[in-house]
Amino acid sequence: MIIALARTIFLYLLIIAGIRLMGKRQVGELEPSELVLAMLISDLAAVPMQDFGIPLAFGVAPIIVLLCITMVLSVLTMKSVRLRALMCGKPSIVIDHGQIIQREMTRNRLTLDELLEELRLQGILDPSAVKYAILETSGRLSTILYANQQPATPEQLGLTPEDASLPLVLINDGRLLEANLKTRGYDQNWLDKQLAAHKLSSVREVYFLTVDQRGRTYFVPKEVWRS
Amino acid sequence: MKRAWIAGSVLILLLAVSWWNAWYIQSFTQTLSGVLAQAEDAAETGDWEMAGRLTMEAQDRWEGASRYLYTVLRHADTDQVDIKFQAVLEWIECREDGEYSSANAELMAQLALIAGMEQPSIKNLL
Repeated sequence: MIIALARTIFLYLLIIAGIRLMGKRQVGELEPSELVLAMLISDLAAVPMQDFGIPLAFGVAPIIVLLCITMVLSVLTMKSVRLRALMCGKPSIVIDHGQIIQREMTRNRLTLDELLEELRLQGILDPSAVKYAILETSGRLSTILYANQQPATPEQLGLTPEDASLPLVLINDGRLLEANLKTRGYDQNWLDKQLAAHKLSSVREVYFLTVDQRGRTYFVPKEVWRS
Repeated sequence: MKRAWIAGSVLILLLAVSWWNAWYIQSFTQTLSGVLAQAEDAAETGDWEMAGRLTMEAQDRWEGASRYLYTVLRHADTDQVDIKFQAVLEWIECREDGEYSSANAELMAQLALIAGMEQPSIKNLL
């Protein structure tokens, strides 16, 4: 039993490290080759996890080989446009100036139902309102509407709204992130004043605190409840 | 690019280690088979003690490398060799010609199979 536990932990950490080295965080962003890799790795890891008669190396070595090949290919596809097209394919324009390109639909085996579903998911009911719809190599559909179908921007309306500034997290679930505090140019005195303004005495009583570049804070004290 | 070089180097290293492993297993099992063949020759001349000593020598060498072998070979295969060694030694103890020859042949065949499985051949690939 302890062998099962040890192998499981080792292989799990190995896979996590490998997937992180690949540099992707979400399955939805994976290229097809990377999705295949993820599936293969999980199968390879499962074999020595379940069968103790198989050496750990029989799972580890193929996983390392797959990760290395993926790394080499990903760097090479970055350098070579041709190789990138070969490995990842090219995006296809399936709607051009409101017209559905049937040849591209057939070539990509994309049905009308699928196309309409993707458009609806993006809030588009009428394909003729779409200037370009591009089927990306990841399988997602990108759409660009005609200018007169797009929501008006403040600039077009002659408005000049305030630019958004990026809030930085200072306190996360009672933990002070000192590096972020210094980045914003604040110190412990400033923080103490913020706490005092909310009648709190300790960082541990704060659930969430952010401050943006204009000095605006978002403050959430921790809830106290009795079980 | 640095990552690609590192990944490429790891791949080449793994390939080199695999080739070395195939060579080592082949060489090791051939050595053991040679000793077992000598043991069989001794048994045929009636020198069962020598046959026993040589077989135990082969078994000691096998067990000396067992940690490495269990890392790179299927445990079912290595366990079979352990079992067959015991069987051969028992037949030597009993001084049974026919049974000993048969068991020794099985053991040598098992060693050859193990080495064969590690070789980069079309048969293994398919």
